[in-house]
Amino acid sequence: MPHDMTISLWSLRAGDWCEILGFDDALEDKYRVRLMEFGFHPGEMVACLQAPAFGAPKVYRVSNTIYSLDDEVASHVRVRPGQERSGQERPGQVYE
Amino acid sequence: MSKVILIGSPNSGKSLLFNRLTGLHQKVANFPGITVDVGIGRIQSLPDLQLVDFPGTYSLQAISAEERVAVEQFERALADPEVCQVLCIIDATRLEKSLYFTLQVIRDCERHGKRVTVLANMIDVLAAHDLTLDVDGLATALHTTVLPLSARKGQGVDALLAHLREGASRTAAAPRAHLVDTPDVLLRGTAHQLAHRYGPQGDILVRSQTRLDAFFLHSLTGGVAFFAIMYLLFQSIFTWSAPAMDAVEAILGGLANLLVPMIGNRVVQDFTADALFGGIGAFLVFVPQIFVLTFVIGLLEDSGYMARAALICHKPLRLFGLTGKSFIPMLSGVACAIPGIYAARAIDSPRKRLLTYMAIPLMPCSARLPVYTLLIAAFIPSGTALGGLVGWQGLAMFGIYFFGMFCGLLVTGLVSRTSADHYTDLPFVLELPPYRLPALHPLLRNAWNRSRHFITKAGKIIFTVTLVVWVLGYFPNFGADLGQSWLGRLGHLVEPVFAPLGLDWRYGVAIFTSFLAREVFVGTLGTIFGIEAADENMAPLVEHIQASDMTIASGLALLVFFAIALQCVSTVAILAKESESTGLAVKMVVGYFAFAYAAALLAYHLAASFA
Repeated sequence: MPHDMTISLWSLRAGDWCEILGFDDALEDKYRVRLMEFGFHPGEMVACLQAPAFGAPKVYRVSNTIYSLDDEVASHVRVRPGQERSGQERPGQVYE
Repeated sequence: MSKVILIGSPNSGKSLLFNRLTGLHQKVANFPGITVDVGIGRIQSLPDLQLVDFPGTYSLQAISAEERVAVEQFERALADPEVCQVLCIIDATRLEKSLYFTLQVIRDCERHGKRVTVLANMIDVLAAHDLTLDVDGLATALHTTVLPLSARKGQGVDALLAHLREGASRTAAAPRAHLVDTPDVLLRGTAHQLAHRYGPQGDILVRSQTRLDAFFLHSLTGGVAFFAIMYLLFQSIFTWSAPAMDAVEAILGGLANLLVPMIGNRVVQDFTADALFGGIGAFLVFVPQIFVLTFVIGLLEDSGYMARAALICHKPLRLFGLTGKSFIPMLSGVACAIPGIYAARAIDSPRKRLLTYMAIPLMPCSARLPVYTLLIAAFIPSGTALGGLVGWQGLAMFGIYFFGMFCGLLVTGLVSRTSADHYTDLPFVLELPPYRLPALHPLLRNAWNRSRHFITKAGKIIFTVTLVVWVLGYFPNFGADLGQSWLGRLGHLVEPVFAPLGLDWRYGVAIFTSFLAREVFVGTLGTIFGIEAADENMAPLVEHIQASDMTIASGLALLVFFAIALQCVSTVAILAKESESTGLAVKMVVGYFAFAYAAALLAYHLAASFA
């Protein structure tokens, strides 16, 4: 994945939407696993709802759940700016 | 006895349902990670069934030691032949997050031949917003029973009980194994698709939450709201609980006045007056404070604000190895370390919780206040500067309070940088729960439970230590002269330890007794100097201290010592219980004593060189 075409989740401003592309290698596996369990997986649309001042953790919406992530984590999530895409099934692998 | 396992993600309403079914009182709150122990209770209307409540976890793929313990307990429970059914509770308003975990649970249960029933909780919230969940569709897709319910309102609980009754009466048929070999990655994709197909459509819930967050997390309004709420919290600890604390003190005093004269034997009389009413009463007086604080913190948790407060404080605290979730425990510690240590339970990262435990005893608790007041009155001039705007004694009080907080952050900053341990650390990924009106009854019950826990758990240790100190101070001369008691002799024995700080045996004894509770320092000095009720009227004691050989350098050294040393036996007892590590509590007592002594020695020499 060429990094110059992507930005980090942390760089989003309040109101921005993006599509998750993947994670930096620098992000520990356990953090990556937990983020994916929360719904931050490639192909998912994420919105930045709040970007408080002074570098406080930002607030993100993924699916119908709201999370707060600090820069230690969010800066390692690679995303591509996009538009809101509600009610759409994400193409992905299922067990069926 | 047949067992039913109750499992679910954090903040899915699991403990609320457990309490409703068993009539027990597990703590519930609108904050992830409240259940930290396994809870067991009989289902009230089905007494042959035992319900086992597991700590909430986001996944069966553990990423911390603590999660691993919870998952291993669950795996062991699945292998238990007495377990007849597994109830997996999900938050129907946030289906995708819950479904991934549910699919993992179904897969593991299939491997052990256990049946899973999915409980779609918060169905009342969906109904209130004209949203629906396709229960039948979801049940068909999951190949299991899905029951809609509201743990909060009791809706659907009768149907669940009927289902459990039926399940308990027939021989359990092994479930159809359709997920047994499915890897997690496929479960994730499946959860996503099922949530979109069968879950509530639209995002009205998220939008209403976002509107409130726009206020509470805004750089300006959020900051103002935060300080206003924290001010109220502080007021609750200091002001609102004060009448109840005074009442407890008055009741105990009245009881002592009534009972003590009726005791014939002098030793028993002195023991009852000094050790029972004096010593035990000194810790019972904290019960109202713990009750009020637990109630107010419960209000913040249940309303959903606690998670926002953690977010606001995270950045500055991270510099010192802590997390935003450390803020409330540390703030509580300014009133009393004990409720602060209890409040640290909500910190999910074991490492950050440990660091928070280390910071709390250094917060300037209210028990230090009488000591600071005495020493500042004795050694700091009462004059003012800047046209009366700044009083030297007030400045000194502010300085010593700030010094304690600074030491707390210094310790956690140093420990976090010198003892990297990623194994027990967790990233700051905080689920922001929806805002909601708190339910009063569970909050009151939880505050009562926490107060009772304090009395029963810490009480035994405090009683033992109180007894030992009383015996040392009373014998062999039956309380006639503290200086000639075993404690007094001990004071003389350790005089060389405190001599480098310019302190004689009298202060050594007072420091010893202050390990019961810091404020005992004032009363003990009063006893030694022969002043009645010195803790209520300090002026004569101040004059005696000023007239003694003690220098301002020694006074400053004592202030520094008290700001750091961990002298409160109640705090140590609760620390050992909550951390499940007596070793940690002992290390902290010894470590903070050494730190306090070194800092006091430094302060003494610095002050002496300027004097």
